[in-house]
Amino acid sequence: MTDTLTTISLIVLTVLSLAAWFVALRRARRVAAGGDAAPGANLQSFLVGLCIALGGGVFVYRAFAVHQRWQPLEAHVDGLLLIGVLLAITVTYLVKRGRMKGLSLFALPFLALTFAWAVCASWWTFREFNQSELHSVWMTVHLTSVYGGMLFFLMAAIAGGMYLYVQRTLHRRHDPAATRPFASLEAIETLIVRTSALGFALLSLGLVTGLVIVTGGPTRLGPGWWYSPKVVLAGASWLVYAVVMNVRHTTHFRGARAAWLSIAGLVLLLATFGIATALPAIPASQGKIPNSKPQITNKSQKKNANQSKATASPQQGPLFGSIGLIGACLEVGIWNLELTCPEVPCGS
Amino acid sequence: MRIVMLSISHRTASVDLRERIAIAGERLAAAIDGLRSGKPLAEAVVLSTCNRTELYIARPAQDASPHDELCQFLARFSNVSMKDIASVAVIREQEEAIAHLFRVATGLESMVLGEPQILGQVKQAYEKSQQMKAAGPVLHRVFQQAISVAKQVRHESGIGEGRVSIGSVAVDFASQIFERFDDKVMVAVGAGEMAKITLKHLQALKPAKLWLTNRTRQRAEDLAARMPSVSCGVRGFDELDNLLVEADIVLTSTGAQQPIITEARFKPLIRRRRSRPIFIVDIAVPRDVEPAVGNLSNVYLYNIDDLQRVVLKTHETRSAQVDQCELMVREAARSCIAAVQHRDVGHLIRALRERLHAYAKAERERTLKRLAGTPIDDLPEAFAAAMDEHDHRLVNKILHLPLSQLDPKDANGSLAFAAEALRQLFGLDEKAADADPLPAGEGVADDEGDAPAPDAPRADKSPLGREV
Repeated sequence: MTDTLTTISLIVLTVLSLAAWFVALRRARRVAAGGDAAPGANLQSFLVGLCIALGGGVFVYRAFAVHQRWQPLEAHVDGLLLIGVLLAITVTYLVKRGRMKGLSLFALPFLALTFAWAVCASWWTFREFNQSELHSVWMTVHLTSVYGGMLFFLMAAIAGGMYLYVQRTLHRRHDPAATRPFASLEAIETLIVRTSALGFALLSLGLVTGLVIVTGGPTRLGPGWWYSPKVVLAGASWLVYAVVMNVRHTTHFRGARAAWLSIAGLVLLLATFGIATALPAIPASQGKIPNSKPQITNKSQKKNANQSKATASPQQGPLFGSIGLIGACLEVGIWNLELTCPEVPCGS
Repeated sequence: MRIVMLSISHRTASVDLRERIAIAGERLAAAIDGLRSGKPLAEAVVLSTCNRTELYIARPAQDASPHDELCQFLARFSNVSMKDIASVAVIREQEEAIAHLFRVATGLESMVLGEPQILGQVKQAYEKSQQMKAAGPVLHRVFQQAISVAKQVRHESGIGEGRVSIGSVAVDFASQIFERFDDKVMVAVGAGEMAKITLKHLQALKPAKLWLTNRTRQRAEDLAARMPSVSCGVRGFDELDNLLVEADIVLTSTGAQQPIITEARFKPLIRRRRSRPIFIVDIAVPRDVEPAVGNLSNVYLYNIDDLQRVVLKTHETRSAQVDQCELMVREAARSCIAAVQHRDVGHLIRALRERLHAYAKAERERTLKRLAGTPIDDLPEAFAAAMDEHDHRLVNKILHLPLSQLDPKDANGSLAFAAEALRQLFGLDEKAADADPLPAGEGVADDEGDAPAPDAPRADKSPLGREV
């Protein structure tokens, strides 16, 4: 259910992430001008730390006070919150390791975007997962692996962006002091490969568990499920990462190309979700929506389903259209792998 | 204490003279001993590097000016004529000497502005003196402060930032491309002077293998023999293609008139290299590597101009920081000399107290001895007389030495200075002096304490001609 406290907290988290990013930007500019990077470092760490503490607190609060269940991932907003907190922790860890300080410059905008997306998912496009008929263990594994995979792919894409920036600076033959706060190209490439590997493993697990869930009952995607847009595009995303993982050592997929590929993989994941949510899951063999109504088991779900349908209506005017578009853009990526979601477009 | 510094540096002396007066190794200890010989309270530190020889001494303030003595010592010690030394020596005292040391430690006096090695050399010089117990409380404070100020100034101003040599810039670029070097292969094409200098920096990265190749193989082998710290080998110039496939870092510095690594030559090698990144430093003029090679995928090509540009930028940045550094150094020197002087005044006050208490004790014992044989009936009168005499003698003893220093014939102003000092120290102004003049007829006791009888007027007069 929508929760005002959650939404307010997410807005605060977005603002904190943006503030931390501005501090990181100022530090980077100071370094580029030949100054010292130290001033502002503590403030930046404090703001990111605050994001972790507050985000973690909200996550626990939602699990125990809102959902009152052992399984914390009840809605998309929970997943986004989890990704945001884990992203902040990962960035903090990598920055503290040294020579990765510049990573925060690239990662913090994505942290702010994730929390902003969570605000959308919490307030305008809120919908609980339809998991009443599913085995909770499969569902938990599926959701955890999909969100975890998304986190690592996000990290890989951020590292890819950083790689391209450092490479561009080096090609321009600027003073190497300007890129000293960033890691070496070799280190960044290692980060891309490792995060892609972890993301790929988790995405594979998510796909396998998704297949188990989708084939687990007659009310799922139907007999033509395997060429449903969601399945096909999710498979395509998996394939891209398989390429990133396995052809890196061939002649043409090293360095900048690997960085571009990691970014393209994330973009494809987001685009896949956008397409999958814009189109209903129509099995090509039938040309119609199989069992298109979601299983509504209680009042809350009924209310949410109605809300989702209402949000999707084109008669809602430009405001909702814009929000829906932003929501669709933001909510791309995770839901394409969310094979168990009902065929109603989720709020967009 | 008086702090004096003598400096002969690259700014004043030629390298020939600097070589002759350099004090290194075992001679350093002898120099420190020589500076302190016959002066147990003296402190000495000798700083000697390739660019400077500097003597720092601290001695009691009342000692004669040691300027000539320092020059003579250095001339004698280095077997150089006094005239040569005197013409290039820079001598500073007190705050100026401290400020100079701070500037040296910060790198403001260095040939390469802001270079960091000098701070380590200052530390070593100070530690050597400490080991020989030649650095006492004054130079200890001054050198500790110098090290601390140098670190602070370097940190706050950024005068030590950036690279000042082509080799170090190349190392910086390499560190931006590769994370580790123990699995990397370095190839040097050419074995000229520039290659030697640049390789000196690059070999600090400790690559897994360093291959040298040159048209004249013998020169490459000679250079390889001078690289003991890395695994180094020599390959024939005809193996250049294979070397380019193996290499991660390439340094080229041949005297070839045409590029030896062209795009057409390198492009087919990329596939054999499996697109591994390669860092090419071309310090040859004319260039050894075609610029188009730098546009190929995963190739990072830098020529001498690219590296030189970074070096120039560093120099510009450092020069812009000099004024700020000077201000910080000046301020620090001022507070340091104030601290040293404060310590000196503390010692002075303690010595003064001890001396006055000694006077008082001697007089008290004398008075008690005189009273010891007095009959009990005469005691009150005798006691009063003895106390009068005691007070009189004590005051005279205390004032004798300071007042005897007031020489009315002094023409260089020290009399006026001393009079003003007395006025300030004892809170005397003209009105007070008129209202409460010293009683006439009071003389100054001799040092032995044989004061005249109270009733016997003394003819002694102070040097001012005024009876005290």
